[in-house]
Amino acid sequence: MGIPLKYNLRNLVVRKVSTAMTVLGIALVVTVFLLVMSLAEGVTRTFATSVSSLNVVILRVGAGSDVNSFVSKDQHDAISTLEGLARGDDGQQLESPEQVVLINIPKRDGKRTNVIVRGVEPVAFKIRGDSVRIVEGRMFQTGTAEAIVSTRARDRFPELRLGGTAKAGSERWTIVGIFDAAGSPYDSEVWADLHNVQEQAHRTGGFSTVVARATDTAARDRLIAAIKGDQRIKLDALPESDYFDKQTVTAAPIKILAYFVAIIMAVGASFGAMNTMYAQVSARTREIATMRALGFSRMVILVSFVLESVVLGFLGGLAGAAIAFVAVHLFLTAPTGTNNFASFSEILFNFQLTPALIVSGVVFSLAMGLFGGLFPAARAARLKIINALREA
Amino acid sequence: MKYFRFIWKNVFRKKSRAFLTMASIVLVLVLIVVLSSLLEALDYDTGRTKGAANVVVQHATGLGNFMPLAYRQKIEQVPGVVAVAPQIWFGGIYVDERPQNFFGQLSTDPQVWAIVHDDYSIPDDQLIDRFHWTIGQRIQVRGTYIPGTIDLVLRGVYTGPDESNIFFHNKYLENSFLGRLERTGIFYLRTEAPEKVPGVCDAINKMFENSDAPVKAMPEKQFMLQFTEMMGDVKLLFRSIALTVLFTVVLIVANTMAMSARERVTQIAVIRALGFRRSQVLMLVLSEAIVLALLGGVAGALGSFPFMWGLIGIIKHTPVAMFAYNLKISLATLLTAFTAAVGIGVLAGFVPAIRSSRISIVDGLRRVA
Repeated sequence: MGIPLKYNLRNLVVRKVSTAMTVLGIALVVTVFLLVMSLAEGVTRTFATSVSSLNVVILRVGAGSDVNSFVSKDQHDAISTLEGLARGDDGQQLESPEQVVLINIPKRDGKRTNVIVRGVEPVAFKIRGDSVRIVEGRMFQTGTAEAIVSTRARDRFPELRLGGTAKAGSERWTIVGIFDAAGSPYDSEVWADLHNVQEQAHRTGGFSTVVARATDTAARDRLIAAIKGDQRIKLDALPESDYFDKQTVTAAPIKILAYFVAIIMAVGASFGAMNTMYAQVSARTREIATMRALGFSRMVILVSFVLESVVLGFLGGLAGAAIAFVAVHLFLTAPTGTNNFASFSEILFNFQLTPALIVSGVVFSLAMGLFGGLFPAARAARLKIINALREA
Repeated sequence: MKYFRFIWKNVFRKKSRAFLTMASIVLVLVLIVVLSSLLEALDYDTGRTKGAANVVVQHATGLGNFMPLAYRQKIEQVPGVVAVAPQIWFGGIYVDERPQNFFGQLSTDPQVWAIVHDDYSIPDDQLIDRFHWTIGQRIQVRGTYIPGTIDLVLRGVYTGPDESNIFFHNKYLENSFLGRLERTGIFYLRTEAPEKVPGVCDAINKMFENSDAPVKAMPEKQFMLQFTEMMGDVKLLFRSIALTVLFTVVLIVANTMAMSARERVTQIAVIRALGFRRSQVLMLVLSEAIVLALLGGVAGALGSFPFMWGLIGIIKHTPVAMFAYNLKISLATLLTAFTAAVGIGVLAGFVPAIRSSRISIVDGLRRVA
């Protein structure tokens, strides 16, 4: 087995140019696949980063997101009497009424999109634990038109810089701080004082949603049942993780695109590899016949040629993964966004090139090499020694 | 032309290679046609001529906010405005939340709506085909941000540039659960002529500048573009994919051409010895690449149709289902794909062609392949 293998691998080096071209072709396919998949991964991961498994999001029945929802003051009062609510260090119940408003503001490229402004009371930060914390500037003051924005939003919207003003219609918020929400969907938002948001948006009749923290999982499930069943409330409630999980469908179109593009391009690239291998087999007919004459079996020749092609694919996969890695870590570091269909606002996320994705990219390239090498290798193995030696 | 047979023979000298190369070109063209069709669908150009005279007014904060319905009388006073139709996006759920059951439900004032949308006519509608509805059918839609369920009876169907919505009377919303209607999502208005549009927009924006609910008036096309702009960086993504794909296939085809040229050194030396000039050899090899690319181009253009139908089927099950109904392969897209094919041929054939033309007769004839 040693000799044919060495022979095949050395051949990759001998025909440098055509090896390089084939490898580059496969590499680009892997790069495109990895980049699009890491985009989808970014969306999925953002929605999967929930803050606490004990948090419950309370919405109007039928509302897909807090943007569409309404909770009246009476309903909120009733919720605060329910059992199972956790308490903070100061004894305050951990339930947070929140008002959500969409503002339409320009991105860096001048195009506009919707951003969520979330009006909250200080308790909202306690419910999110340490996952929403100020990294620059300071917290907004209660009762003022001040706001804090996520780092991702600051990087994407020129108006949302420290000291800038978020303005839409008659609404104005001065940005006094930048927060980090640990990669959760809150990282796409602007947070401001609850009463100020209600006042500026002329929505003083109630809230969009109430987010509550339960004492433990059992209490959480009882709390959810109570909110759904209580005659005074009759609202929909679900764990925060489920709430965000439902919104991951946003990544579905990107994933479909990734697979569609990847499969078509992969077949194209394996055809390219196949071409190269066929050309190699016919150029090396005599050499193959010589090896057969020396006693190497058909099987050994077959395996050895398939391996040559698989190595070709493997090199392409490594190169593609390397290109994607460099691209993600050097050029695609800025947050990117797409429309969150549930909330009609932009969800911000970063490209996530995970080790699992890299492995899948390399496996993918091995498959291309295998598929591209199988038929030419079979032809090589089937060569008749006498005819082949006589040729040319 | 007299060399065509020669070129043709050389293209198919190795049948499996010619087939594989063409197949790669076909696949890439399919991809390019599909991607550009998606881009076109995103760009939303209904080709409406009358729509150019339409203006849409929304709350300046964003679409999620409502404006007082009383603005209507004021907007009607703006010179150049012909008709103003209020419109509310009900945003309800039909049957269940699956994307393929998604369609728009708009509440409006039918008399005025008909003036603004006089390029719509009754009947026939894609929703009818989608859900197999019949006249008299009851359609129940569960509200999301507007509470309650609307229970409608299908009375008529329409045709028009956008057939993905159903319409019902503002009075119905009012009578059933909203109480007296005081607010609206948008105003859809028709101006006298497209030239009036910028002036009307400015006048309306100024009129409510300092009120509690300032508005943003804009041409219909710009209003529609908002939704695709919200898709974020998807467009850039499509473009970069298309470019990378093109580059990859140029590599693959160039590699094939180089291989084929390398194997034919003797042949080329022979025809040079017969008196063919270097430039003729260059043209011959280049033409081979172009013929190959063109064959792939035609097959790819034809082959993209079934792919497109398949993709539309898949998209219908995603949240972007509404785009599926705008998706079609336009003539412009086919032309682009075809140009791309020729470009692939020229780019990929160039280096091998130059190399072949430089072969010296003596070396070529001496070489044993």
